[in-house]
Amino acid sequence: MKLNAEELKKDFPILKRKIYDHEIVYLDNAASSQKPQVVIDAIADYYSNHNANVHRGLHTLSEEATELYENARKTVADFIGAVPQEVIFTKGATESLNRVAINWALHNLGKDDIILTTDFEHHSNLIPWQEKARIVGAKLEFVEADEKGEVSAKQFKDKFEEFGTRIKLAAVTHASNVLGTILPVKEICKIAKEYGAKVSVDGAQAIPHLNVNVQSLGCDFYSFSGHKMLGPMGIGVLWIKRDLLEGLEPYEFGGGMIDEVSFDAATWAAAPEKFEAGTPNVEGALGLATAIEYLEKIGMDNIREHEIELNMVLLNELQKIKEVRILGPLDPTKRTGLVSFALDGLHAHDIAAVLSGLGIAVRSGHHCAMPYHVKKGFSATTRASYYLYNTQEDIEALIAGIKEAIKTFS
Amino acid sequence: MNPNDNIYRQELMDIYKNPVHKGALSDPSAISHKKNPMCGDEMDLYLKIEDGVIKDASYTESACVVSVIASEILLEKVIGKKVEAINKMTKDEFLTDLGLNLSTSRVKCAMLVFEAVKEALEKYAGK
Repeated sequence: MKLNAEELKKDFPILKRKIYDHEIVYLDNAASSQKPQVVIDAIADYYSNHNANVHRGLHTLSEEATELYENARKTVADFIGAVPQEVIFTKGATESLNRVAINWALHNLGKDDIILTTDFEHHSNLIPWQEKARIVGAKLEFVEADEKGEVSAKQFKDKFEEFGTRIKLAAVTHASNVLGTILPVKEICKIAKEYGAKVSVDGAQAIPHLNVNVQSLGCDFYSFSGHKMLGPMGIGVLWIKRDLLEGLEPYEFGGGMIDEVSFDAATWAAAPEKFEAGTPNVEGALGLATAIEYLEKIGMDNIREHEIELNMVLLNELQKIKEVRILGPLDPTKRTGLVSFALDGLHAHDIAAVLSGLGIAVRSGHHCAMPYHVKKGFSATTRASYYLYNTQEDIEALIAGIKEAIKTFS
Repeated sequence: MNPNDNIYRQELMDIYKNPVHKGALSDPSAISHKKNPMCGDEMDLYLKIEDGVIKDASYTESACVVSVIASEILLEKVIGKKVEAINKMTKDEFLTDLGLNLSTSRVKCAMLVFEAVKEALEKYAGK
């Protein structure tokens, strides 16, 4: 069923705002999405009716809060094809990725081992590996995007053939936040398995837009944030494959994660509690679960279809403007709902500022992928990223705004 | 008010489109290089100093309109001034002088040239 973006817009109170007398055109969803009323209400309802600490008390509120929190975990698990035990709540994809780096990589990598990644990763899927590699003497190896902004499974296979079992971990994004490119993660996992390597996937840009099933992908770790998928800020997920849960040490120590404690030592609770020391973000987990239910009601396939349509319109229109250089694949089916571009002779900041004056929100900069921008000779680019509430009219407003920016500065 | 009505007004766009201080100096007394890692703006700043006076100043950049306009206005101001006078100039004085009514994120764009001038003067003093 085709989704009706115009109708869905009404579910998002912030989209009724006017910016300098213009209707807001929100095209910065890859940075953070807006929240539907149901998510806002779920959080308010939690604090109005159920708030108490979880896993601690026998009183009614604590039991209700615990139940809501654990149900949220189950909703997340079902959404990604996992079991609740494997779902660890974090504050976002950045924390999730850092946990893989600290809890797994630091203990399992040694001198001259290799972490295989790509040359267009978000800084949060680059720097944690750089830092851990520096500590243990491991190295990073990069699969490079081709001129179309794509990478193939074959390129990963070549790296494994070259470096063999020295590659202990492939740390890749599921979809690029700069290029939009969707990576062949399933194939990458298959190749990595043949060499006994683990695969950690940064799903921050994929899970809001695609059907994700961690089992069928075949990865070992999957990280994402709630706020890019209609959920609140400050909540994210680290999915860890069940076989690995036992062998991993906790990340933080304190309340809620213990089995037994003496004055000298302690033993740990089972996962997921083992990885969630301290009072968790219950409102965030609830908000995320409500967002997931909202997404499921619309249907991830319908969202994907809608975004491919918007990709088609935007890519088509951008290619008609001679000053525009598009990053990433021109095939609308090969990217998620975002397009980054540069305008010859015009700084991305100025484009974003002119657009902002028209009520249009886009991102400008290097989108936390500085090495890739430097390598490609872009000081900064402009990124338009959409979601289920963006309409074709939003894209038309963007194109009109870009043309106005060109006129202003030439 | 829409901040763009101020930044992108005609007189400033004329400055942007006809910069007079852009380019490298052939025999500078001090050079600095500044970057804004958040947005990717970059600048090289050149000063020619004789007898404690800034005789000439220029810049090369890969930067936005705000950064270019701020550079043009600041360099126009520093040329012919004593080094100690520019050393004393504060960030707030500079921004007030600029009069662009900038939003928080764009203040950083304007500050690039100010920091570049300060750094070049520090380098010169350290010689």
